Amino acid sequence: MRDASVGRTVAGLITALVIGIGLMSLILGEARRTMTRSATEQNAVVTAAAAADVLARVRDDGGDLQAMTVALAAALPDLEQLRVIDASRRQLAASTHAADLEAGDFPQRLKREQKGWFDQAKELEAAHSTNVMEGKARKDEVLLRAVAADRLEVVLPLFDEDQVTGSVQAVTVAVLPADASGGLPGWIPVLAAALLLLGLLRLLPGGWPRFAAGLVVTAVALYLHASLGADTLTNTRLVGEQSVADHALDVSSALRGRPDVDADDLAVTRWNIDRFRVGRATFDDAGLVAVGRVEDGFDRDRGRFRQGAFVLSLLAVVFYYWVATGWARRTGTALVKHRSAYGFVVPAMIGMILLVFFPFFYGVLLSFFNKTLYNVNQPLYDLWVGFDNYVSIIADTGVVRTAEDGSRSINFQNFYWTLGFTILWTVSNVFIGTTLGLTLALILNVKELRFKPFYRIILILPWAVPNYITALIWKGMFHKQFGVINQVIQIGGGEPISWFDAWYTSFFAVLMTNGWLSFPFMMVIALGALQSIPNDLYEAARVDGAGRVQAFRFVTLPSLKPALVPAVILSVVWTFNMFNIIYLVSQGEPAGATEILITDAYKIAFEQYRYSYAAAYSVVIFLILMVYGIWQNKVTKATEGI
Amino acid sequence: MSNRNDSVPHFWLHLFLVFMVLVTVYPILWVLTVAFSGQQALMFVDLPPDPSVLDRVRAVVPWPAQVSVQNFVDVFSQQPFGRWLLNSALVAAATTVMGVFLATTAGYAFSRFRFPGRRAGMMSFLISQMFPGTLTLVPLYIIIVQWLHLGSNYLGLILLYSTTAIPFCVWMLKGYFDTIPRELEESALMDGASPAVIFWKIILPLSKPAVAVTALFSFMTAWNEFILALTIMDQESMYTAPVGLRFFVGGFAEQQWGYFAAGSIVAALPVMALFLFLQRFLISGLTAGAVKG
Repeated sequence: MRDASVGRTVAGLITALVIGIGLMSLILGEARRTMTRSATEQNAVVTAAAAADVLARVRDDGGDLQAMTVALAAALPDLEQLRVIDASRRQLAASTHAADLEAGDFPQRLKREQKGWFDQAKELEAAHSTNVMEGKARKDEVLLRAVAADRLEVVLPLFDEDQVTGSVQAVTVAVLPADASGGLPGWIPVLAAALLLLGLLRLLPGGWPRFAAGLVVTAVALYLHASLGADTLTNTRLVGEQSVADHALDVSSALRGRPDVDADDLAVTRWNIDRFRVGRATFDDAGLVAVGRVEDGFDRDRGRFRQGAFVLSLLAVVFYYWVATGWARRTGTALVKHRSAYGFVVPAMIGMILLVFFPFFYGVLLSFFNKTLYNVNQPLYDLWVGFDNYVSIIADTGVVRTAEDGSRSINFQNFYWTLGFTILWTVSNVFIGTTLGLTLALILNVKELRFKPFYRIILILPWAVPNYITALIWKGMFHKQFGVINQVIQIGGGEPISWFDAWYTSFFAVLMTNGWLSFPFMMVIALGALQSIPNDLYEAARVDGAGRVQAFRFVTLPSLKPALVPAVILSVVWTFNMFNIIYLVSQGEPAGATEILITDAYKIAFEQYRYSYAAAYSVVIFLILMVYGIWQNKVTKATEGI
Repeated sequence: MSNRNDSVPHFWLHLFLVFMVLVTVYPILWVLTVAFSGQQALMFVDLPPDPSVLDRVRAVVPWPAQVSVQNFVDVFSQQPFGRWLLNSALVAAATTVMGVFLATTAGYAFSRFRFPGRRAGMMSFLISQMFPGTLTLVPLYIIIVQWLHLGSNYLGLILLYSTTAIPFCVWMLKGYFDTIPRELEESALMDGASPAVIFWKIILPLSKPAVAVTALFSFMTAWNEFILALTIMDQESMYTAPVGLRFFVGGFAEQQWGYFAAGSIVAALPVMALFLFLQRFLISGLTAGAVKG
């Protein structure tokens, strides 16, 4: 803070404002473009809906559909082309397209290459009946796409009573709303205010007061810009709605007075529909925009913008701090001074940041939302659920389920069952691996024992086999009907066991598999440590009168410790995360009982497609591992001496 | 430990060791038997409806009823296993090149330069080793498949594999670079060589053994990896060998144990040979990493 000179404070202020206001303007611009686009689309929908209304009435009256179609395209200024599909008769009922006109009189039978139109009408019919059946708006009943830069195609269902019998395809020229950017651009007053306040900085003493003044100016400027931005958004929205209302009135007056159009056809509010064909009611029959209603509907978007602006402001303040305290300068100096070192580190660091650290933080972020396969395209901020995912994982302690008849069963899907099973799995495996490995190492360390190299090379083999292959081999050997293990049991006169039908036999199978592949690691580590114990130690122990047991207790074990402790720590983490064995051998059978945390998380993500829930689950796993890591660090003080 | 000699007779030790050897080699013999049986069945022989004990013993002895290499021929000609092996080989080779490049440069910087962020960088590499695989799996899936559209694409898998191998390789290489005397570089610096020249012309040639181990390690990791490949590679033609082998016996369709066994042997032999050759280096690297983690 001491060195918060005027120059640095100003530099910090400018950096913060450029970043904060620049990014905010990007968001604002994008939001305004979206609003303009949706107003333009709404104008096209209004035109198409007006045309569809008239056409449906003409068809019901038995009028000339083709004549009306041509008349509508001529009367409505933005309507370029119109086509009516009668899906129930598989006919092209009317059209203004040149290619259709050349093909002969209407109605025409739909040709093979026109099947897409028929399918589209059927799709709308299905969407409408789904929405009616479910009593809610879920499937789109209005199809919209851009056919050229300034041409929109709207497809609406054509009704006969309550039945969709066809579709109306309208190509319209885009009607853009007026430019809503009235008033000063948001950043000009902000910058003026900032410059004015800059004068004050000279009067303030250096250090904290100057730094704080700069911070206040940054915050005020950003706040002003954000509120001006929110107002502009509201304004854009209202202008857009006004444009739709005006357009509806234009359409209405273009149709009014024509002999072939009824007064009933001219209800402007009926044309103002959303993509589910539900009335939007944003303006009345006189074309007066319901400002309150529009603003209410916009509250959520504005709240979202405020949140975004807040986050950006925080970012800008961080940058202000970074520059104003001279930290940025130091960073820059360090970058230049150590440029070759950073040059060497940067490729690996970029890779790590993009594909290890960023995914990690994104995973943590995801865990606070409700993202599934079915809403991947929805923006993340719509799906915020806070700690719900964590609560539903942690708070459900119902491991034992009591059925209606009073019988009790274990709920294998419960987190605490899986956690308990994972711990059981880890402890048993590490115990077996360590005991077996250590025993074998002690035996192989016996002097003058013959064939040692032979034993050693054979016993190390399971470690060399890729573990997914090991897993699948053992899965085959545990096969109920054809597996060799059941054959051996039957040789002994036993009954074949259905290994994956009870959790304890299933557990035995995975334990056996993992034991087979994990003991060589411990054996090799222990053997290496044993061979490095100098013989003098044993001699000294013997001179001191130590017996065999004492020599083992006071010489062998302490010498093994430095190698064995890290190996045990490592194998605990490995076994805890041993995905392949569980996933490939028991597959969690029966009913998820032998799932460990990590396979459970995988299945939640890629079989149930609940991405966020799986992310929260993974964070819990990570926290468990972290607690374990901290604990073992304390116990072993293993981090010393980096 | 000569004092243990007189306590336990060697006979018992040999007995135990022989038992362990049998347990160890049986699954390997089993897979060899299935592979050379020429059929898709799990059983080595066809059991009669009411088998005698002798029949059952015959069904347990790992020797096929008739020896045939048909499974090896068929797994390449009837199944796209050759394609899967090729996928694995391409991905593993590219991963090796990229992983070695990233790890040697970073390892060199951590070993030779003292710069702000060095310690933080090294620690962050270590900590990243603690992230369980599935924690980043969902975000990685979203990033690779949905954002970058690299699902069922070599590049996606190569990027993932080379970054997951970085921390271990960097630490291993840093340890090795630390042992190279600095005098060599200092004299080169005197002669006006740039750090890049020193790295490429002096350090890398001197570290051939460590670079080779890193390369082989990266290759093995990529060759044996299963979960990421299963998640990212959707199209059957883009499976890697592990995903393909599981496809033979893991699905709901008829299980083809013969193809699996033959394919496993082809896929496992090179890495097993590599492993046995490499084990010494890997063990020292692993324990060093663990002590520091």
